[in-house]
Amino acid sequence: MSVGRVLVIDDDPQIRRAMKMTLSTHGYEVADARTGEEGLTELRSGAYDLVLLDMNMPGMGGIETCRLVRSGSEVAIIMLTVNNTEKDKVEALDAGADDYVTKPFSTPELLARIRAALRRLPHPDRAELQPLKAHGVEIDLSSRQVTVGGRTASLSPKEFDLLSYLLARANKTISHRELLQAIWGPDYGDELEYLRVFVNRLRKKIEPNPSQPKFLLTDAWTGYRFHLPQ
Amino acid sequence: MVVHQAIRLSARILASLALIAAITFAFTRLIPVNATTTGFFYLVAILMIATAWGIVESTIASVVAMLCFNYFFLPPIGTLTIADPQNWVALFAFLATSLTASQLSARAKRRTKEAVERQREMERLYSLSRGLLLTDAAQPVGKQIVQQIASVFEFPAVALYDRASGETYRAGTEDLADVETKLRDVAVRSTSLQDSAATVLFTSIRLGGQPIGSLAIQGPALSDAALQSVLNLVAIGLERTLAQQAINRAEVARRSEELKSALLDAIAHEFKTPLTSAKAITTDLLAAPAGELHQHQRDLIGIADESVDRMSRLVSDAIQLARIEGGTFQLNRGVHFPSSLISSALKQMKSLTDGRQINVKVADDLPLVSVDAALIQMVITHLIDNALKYSPQQSAIEIGARSEGSNVIIYVNDRGAGIAEDEQSRIFDKFYRGKTERHLTGTGMGLAIAREIVRAHGGDISVTSRPGEGSQFSFSLPAAKQSSSR
Repeated sequence: MSVGRVLVIDDDPQIRRAMKMTLSTHGYEVADARTGEEGLTELRSGAYDLVLLDMNMPGMGGIETCRLVRSGSEVAIIMLTVNNTEKDKVEALDAGADDYVTKPFSTPELLARIRAALRRLPHPDRAELQPLKAHGVEIDLSSRQVTVGGRTASLSPKEFDLLSYLLARANKTISHRELLQAIWGPDYGDELEYLRVFVNRLRKKIEPNPSQPKFLLTDAWTGYRFHLPQ
Repeated sequence: MVVHQAIRLSARILASLALIAAITFAFTRLIPVNATTTGFFYLVAILMIATAWGIVESTIASVVAMLCFNYFFLPPIGTLTIADPQNWVALFAFLATSLTASQLSARAKRRTKEAVERQREMERLYSLSRGLLLTDAAQPVGKQIVQQIASVFEFPAVALYDRASGETYRAGTEDLADVETKLRDVAVRSTSLQDSAATVLFTSIRLGGQPIGSLAIQGPALSDAALQSVLNLVAIGLERTLAQQAINRAEVARRSEELKSALLDAIAHEFKTPLTSAKAITTDLLAAPAGELHQHQRDLIGIADESVDRMSRLVSDAIQLARIEGGTFQLNRGVHFPSSLISSALKQMKSLTDGRQINVKVADDLPLVSVDAALIQMVITHLIDNALKYSPQQSAIEIGARSEGSNVIIYVNDRGAGIAEDEQSRIFDKFYRGKTERHLTGTGMGLAIAREIVRAHGGDISVTSRPGEGSQFSFSLPAAKQSSSR
């Protein structure tokens, strides 16, 4: 039985073959695409749970492909990058990726990352899904929709998990480590850039003025807090 | 030139005297009129002389006319004496009127001439400024400047010394002798000098108080204001070119760095892509449950897996070194506590340091350092990695930081085999491989990279070691300045 459908988008045929062989051995159903354009077409025709996306590809390129995938889909995205620099990581996460893996990577590490990206928080209770209305912002967790000033945005699964985790513990500072382990999994804890990028992404969607947040507050050196107006 | 002017002046004086003589002759011999009419005619003639020529001619004409008036028309006629005292008054009134009128007339004429000259200078300055704005980038700007000045102001010779390039440019129909030495001298001394014999003006060109060159002009003198304007225009013209050249150089350097950076990215990608599929396969096989592979197969795959790791490290280090040496990396500086740099590095090394005794000794109240945290952590992790590799499993490793003058020293001590004295100075060299097994598992680039990173921060790295007792690798980082510490 398939544990998930994965689309590998990479211009290198050896990597596509290796990914298909190793991931299918571990129960995943794997399809592949050679370019970003091909990948987008494939994504429209099939239901996938996760995309493994090479950052450096001829044509559209990984970052642009990631943006386009994220703009129309909630599928989990892991970027495969050669450079291990902060700039590249932030660029990948900013484009909408849920995680990144630096090439060359080990198969167990990739499998752990895939599990973390597909990991979902238990669905919140109905009581926690009450729409929140304040400061002209409407957050409806049951439909994963956020409306700010008449403009509606939908949340990616990881953004949704992060927001609902913070919202369920409103007005309480949650540490970086707790957030990373709750949302990505127990192997995570030091990847502060993940939180920075995801919180920024969320602020752009839910804050009337993202540079002066009213809901998603940073508690310096400690963590983040969702400020719920009384 | 001066002789020519004297001859012209003499001719005009003679002509003025001739005109007075003609009036005197006409009114004494041809048309006898009274003294008053004659006096008015003299006045009209003097006004005409003042208007047409100048004050010297009109003053001489006034005095001569006064004498003629007295001699020929005021009684007793034929003498220079005056009988009637009223005629004295008339004579002096005539002289005063004629002198005043001639002065006023000459002044008005001079002013008109000056106004015309100013207007002409303005037109020429405008023309020069337009010409300098439309310089051709393909030709030396100094050459175009002197050509413009010579043609606009119709100077027979112009020369310009550009201090930045050291070049002298000339234009005009005449040649200036020994101009280069004088121009350099004037530019260095930042003064002006007038070569009176050749009527050449040498003057320095300054911009923002700094002499940037000098200009020599042969020809009619410009007004001070016009000369200053010409010098300012030349200064701006030269400076504009320098600024443009600086922009061009910066652009070329930027493009070259971008190209190098893109090339290194492409090389990294090309090398790491085949390693990625190899690593995925070896690690997948090694992760297989026990029993699926024979031990022999597992060992062989293990060797392949380690080789892939080593190849990957080599590529990463080579690219990193090329980036640092090629100048295509930039320090992303921030102000950090030395202790947090060490603790972050230790956190990154956690899987390798587990089971080892690590002692951290960071002095209290160390100054902050302004560094690229990721790069300095790379240096620390590399030193820790070396210490772990080359010291016995049960021995302790000490990592610390202390203050020394205006520097912060970060060090890593191990109690390993140590390094022979003759090797100590060479282990930071690229691709240096030690005589012992010490360096066999490394890439031969790690310490070279560490040294380049530390030096890029303005510090240095060194080793002290005694064979059999262990080694201390330490590097210095300048403390952040107080003003930038927060």
